[in-house]
Amino acid sequence: MIANPYNSLDWNAVIPLLVVSVTALAVLFADLVARGGVKRVVCIAIGLAGLAVAAVLCAKSYGQSYSSFGGGFIMGGFTVVFEELIVLSAIFSVALYSAVGEARHLAGSIALLLWSAAGAMLMAGAGNLMTIFLGLELLSLALYCLCGMSRRTTARESALKYLILSSTASGFMLYGMALFFGATGSVSLAALANPATAASPLFLVGTALFFIGIAFKLSLVPFHVWTPDVYEGAPLPVTAFMSVATKAGALAVLVRFAYATLPSIHVREILLPLYVVAAISMLVGNLAALAQTDMKRLLAYSGIAQIGYILVALAGTTALGLRYAVFYLAAYLFMNLGAFAVVALMSTENEEGSRIAAFHGLGWRRPWLAAAMAFFLLGLAGFPPTAGFIGKVLILASAVGAGYAWLAGFLILGTAISLYVYFKILRLMYERDQQRAAPVVENSSALAWVSVGVCAIVTVALTFYPLVPSNIIPLVK
Amino acid sequence: MNPYGPVAIYLGVAMAAALLFSLVPGLLARSKPNPEKAEAYECGVEPTSSVSGRFPVRFYLIAMLFVIFDVEAASFYPWAVQMHALRVFGLVEMVVFVIVLAIGYAYVWKKGGFAWK
Repeated sequence: MIANPYNSLDWNAVIPLLVVSVTALAVLFADLVARGGVKRVVCIAIGLAGLAVAAVLCAKSYGQSYSSFGGGFIMGGFTVVFEELIVLSAIFSVALYSAVGEARHLAGSIALLLWSAAGAMLMAGAGNLMTIFLGLELLSLALYCLCGMSRRTTARESALKYLILSSTASGFMLYGMALFFGATGSVSLAALANPATAASPLFLVGTALFFIGIAFKLSLVPFHVWTPDVYEGAPLPVTAFMSVATKAGALAVLVRFAYATLPSIHVREILLPLYVVAAISMLVGNLAALAQTDMKRLLAYSGIAQIGYILVALAGTTALGLRYAVFYLAAYLFMNLGAFAVVALMSTENEEGSRIAAFHGLGWRRPWLAAAMAFFLLGLAGFPPTAGFIGKVLILASAVGAGYAWLAGFLILGTAISLYVYFKILRLMYERDQQRAAPVVENSSALAWVSVGVCAIVTVALTFYPLVPSNIIPLVK
Repeated sequence: MNPYGPVAIYLGVAMAAALLFSLVPGLLARSKPNPEKAEAYECGVEPTSSVSGRFPVRFYLIAMLFVIFDVEAASFYPWAVQMHALRVFGLVEMVVFVIVLAIGYAYVWKKGGFAWK
């Protein structure tokens, strides 16, 4: 006789996940039923509506604590915040699909995007090793297909590279998990949270392998080589989604592992390699961004540096640092996706706007768009009055407070280099000489404009009202 | 004894055996190569072309669809074995599973996944 699985299922915990998954099916179904010109609108509307419902349902769990599947999935303030960020980035990506999506692939792409969002959400609440891996694979498998769904030839390169390299990283992670299981005899994270376990060599080797898998997903140097190539080839909305949601999912797993599982006496030593990798990422990401001629590649390298900043906030695993990391992740979401929306407004499905040359003289051709882009770039560089500025100040304060002044130093150094990266684009946009300008493409998709507007407003609003979530201690059960 | 001890012993024995079987024949056996010996033995005909020929990518599509539906059909098995223990919850779960499967099937069909064109 086996236990009835219904007893360990708490609908409160999994309802946002279910809504997102079912919405994906509904999009596919609508694609079969709807005809003609309505099809496009219906698919996008269903996708956006489902995500909005999931966001609302998810917000209801803030301040609560639910656990499902025998502790395999844990819903609480921590999970809610990460799930909201993932759902938001999915909403923005669907909006970008309405601007530059290829009609032939639209419904399939939106459905896959929703499933990969569900995978990332699963990672955000994962309470045991199996759920972590399930979420990771759901996220990745959908993304492999999404990366290749474009007519451009680089898309195929992108999909294949991502498939091969990401599978290798998953292999590392799975090996690490196998060693965790060897050390404890359980797949639950709660079983790992035992000071006696942390001393065993199996656990330490497992942690190293586990971190390699996570560092790949976060695209930290030296596991970042795939990022620019995959970002460049993937369709623009997919790149936008990957740049935030994949990182949010992996970060949630890392944070739950570091905060709730690792024993506090060893945590500084065990996490030290991660901080070193973060420091290198901040330098390498910004230095490599200097040489790029493609906007998506530039944002890929900038993202490598930004995730380094977020890890600085986690230095010392303080509760305050976690709140600031989440705040910066949210700020990064709006600044980064805003920049992607601007690129979409300069592109058709061939993505002409992703070439940096396309920004030449943009300030004189389309002043509002250029102003928005300038604003997002200043935000990514950490200038007031943007959320990027306040986020960096908070991170610096937390790192210095936790005794990691050297990491704060690397953050400042990385930021100094990044100023040159972002100002190069600014200068290009407001250059008078229009001789060298690339062929101009105008896109005036309403949803993309709304995305730009929302991102810009939130980026300012977060400066004056820094909504740092308070109730987000990750749990294991 | 460490619980992983037997695993380590097994690993050692397996590797030693594999090494032994692949190295010893080369050392001990007498080698008299003859073209006759390299031919297809008793049954089978001489291959007329390279085995790694080109064939349409559609085979992969069909194979992939087959594997997907095959695995999904295999998922019925554990449920069928435990059907009484899982009761109504198991039944509902399986109905949901079949609906998801049916939508996938309809999608593939409508999109021409089964058409050999």
